Amino acid sequence: MTDRFRSFVRFCGAAELTSIGILVLAFGIPLLSSSPFLVSLVTQILIAIPAAFSVYVMLRMDLMTFAVPAFMAMGAYSAAIVGLRAGITDTIVLTALSFAVPALVALPLGALVLRLRGVYFVLVTFLLSQITQLLLFETPKLTGGSNGLAGMPATTLFGVALEDNRAVLFLAIALALLAAAITMVLTRYYRQHFAAIKENQILAESLGLVVWHYKMLGFAVAAGLAGIAGFSLVNMLLTAHPSSFSAMSSVDYIAYTIVGGAGSMFGPIVGSALLVTANNMFSNRGEYSPGFFGLLIIIVVLAMKDGIVGTAIKLAQRYRGRSRRIVLTPTQIPLQPAAAAEQTPVADQTVER
Amino acid sequence: MESFVSTGLIGVSLGVQYALLALGFTLIFGILGVVNFSHGGFYVLGGYVAYASVHYLGAPYPLAVVLAVLASGILGYLFELFLLERVVEDHLSTLMLTLGLFLVMSTGILVTFGPESPQFTFPVTGTWRYGNYYLPKENLIVLSVCVVTIGAVYLLMYKTDFGRALRALADDRRVAAAQGIRPRLLFPLAFALATALAGLTGALVTPILCLAPHLADPVLATSFLIVILGGLGSVGGATLAAFIVGMVEAYSSVYLGGSKGALALFVFVLIMLVIRPSGLFGQEVHGA
Repeated sequence: MTDRFRSFVRFCGAAELTSIGILVLAFGIPLLSSSPFLVSLVTQILIAIPAAFSVYVMLRMDLMTFAVPAFMAMGAYSAAIVGLRAGITDTIVLTALSFAVPALVALPLGALVLRLRGVYFVLVTFLLSQITQLLLFETPKLTGGSNGLAGMPATTLFGVALEDNRAVLFLAIALALLAAAITMVLTRYYRQHFAAIKENQILAESLGLVVWHYKMLGFAVAAGLAGIAGFSLVNMLLTAHPSSFSAMSSVDYIAYTIVGGAGSMFGPIVGSALLVTANNMFSNRGEYSPGFFGLLIIIVVLAMKDGIVGTAIKLAQRYRGRSRRIVLTPTQIPLQPAAAAEQTPVADQTVER
Repeated sequence: MESFVSTGLIGVSLGVQYALLALGFTLIFGILGVVNFSHGGFYVLGGYVAYASVHYLGAPYPLAVVLAVLASGILGYLFELFLLERVVEDHLSTLMLTLGLFLVMSTGILVTFGPESPQFTFPVTGTWRYGNYYLPKENLIVLSVCVVTIGAVYLLMYKTDFGRALRALADDRRVAAAQGIRPRLLFPLAFALATALAGLTGALVTPILCLAPHLADPVLATSFLIVILGGLGSVGGATLAAFIVGMVEAYSSVYLGGSKGALALFVFVLIMLVIRPSGLFGQEVHGA
């Protein structure tokens, strides 16, 4: 590995590049297998990924958000309404819309809500999701109420309609890649700002960090990511219905992120893949899947606080630490002046986070 | 006029039921700092244990209620002792744990009893009439049981040493522990008390309204609503807020229809949470 490659990896983050790599590889799935079950499963995973990224971005600021279904609904319904009523089906326009509408709504909401933290933030965002779902039911003229909006026209890219399963899969991959890119840019560029807010918000503020700027930014981008997930969902179903956006479904997205590992961008991908697959395997006994989720959450919270990816990274680091020779740095105070002549070179001990 | 008063009476009985429910929730938050996502689950569990006792064990209804209370209390005690105690300092972890418990519990209930709503009726039927005003007898009985229980909880919290210890833990856990009050002993008991209250409410109310596995979600949302309005941790606030919510729900469902009343209430509570996170009577809010 050349130095330039290494510094590129260190700049972008190993986890981030792995995530993007895996998502790009997903384009090859139709080449490997034409099983409609696999295509559908992977599409569902790819729909969950931007939503899990939304939770991940908020968790980087130590805020657990239950508002993902609310913003998903905003993104989904704006795409559906525009598609049905105004006949706009261009994918790029719809994607931009499904990102922008929730992000813009998140700005005034964030001004109200971001002053709270911890448990209170959880309750407020849970209430937000409840309110959004109730609003969807109570405004039938705009949102179709309890009937939802059915019969959305298929999205088109440069005039080509994306109708069959493979096209839906490719669009889902593209949307997940977009979400991953946005997440990567946000969390790497503002890595230290978010970390300072997470570590000790008051200290960060006293050191001069304008905390509310970054919280608003994070909240708006998280809302936009959830909106993209909503658009992806509605694109697969071609129907927008309030039941897809219930407040308790926020638990699913949080579970994906926490079980996968909230410390690394690869975590939400692993969590989504694992849990959506598990959910599908319970398709005959669908009633068991919430119980399975619950057991997983309990086990992860008690035993594997860093999630699957976090625990794996920790184990790998511990193993690497054991098998690596410890080399002293030149800042070691020499016992005698003569010993300074036989200094060993700088060790490569940076710990990648 | 009559329907106005009758709706008011229904609102009062709803308020008392909600007060009992919210009491447990706010106790757990005030004393342990835990947001109990499984509160609705214990409500449903209480209902189902009572139903199972009546239909499969042939127990009389009052005994079934007692069994429901015991079952919810014991389950809550064991859960707190073995699982929550490990992470009780970390608020978000405890939240996730109670969430996990709720998912496991509701799956267990769904698998054992099926998704259909079973036939569970209150043993006493009939309506109590006074002139032109009326109230179903079952509501009256449940109302009196709830009032008695709320009174008992108040006495427990404010007149006994146990209650004083719990209030001390709620005020400042470290100082209370330094004074010799043992959280490891009292937390499971407090949690058990709260879940037993939820189970009691479930056993009492589900034969009147409806018993089904999916009821846990609306019950949880309502508990959140009431407890936030009244102030997380405040027992008096929770009771008052429960009455407000009960009245609003009764009047809005009779005169407005649909879920507009619920929507208005949610928005109101959201605004309240932002302006005044401590609610109507809550304590000083940490971490907000």
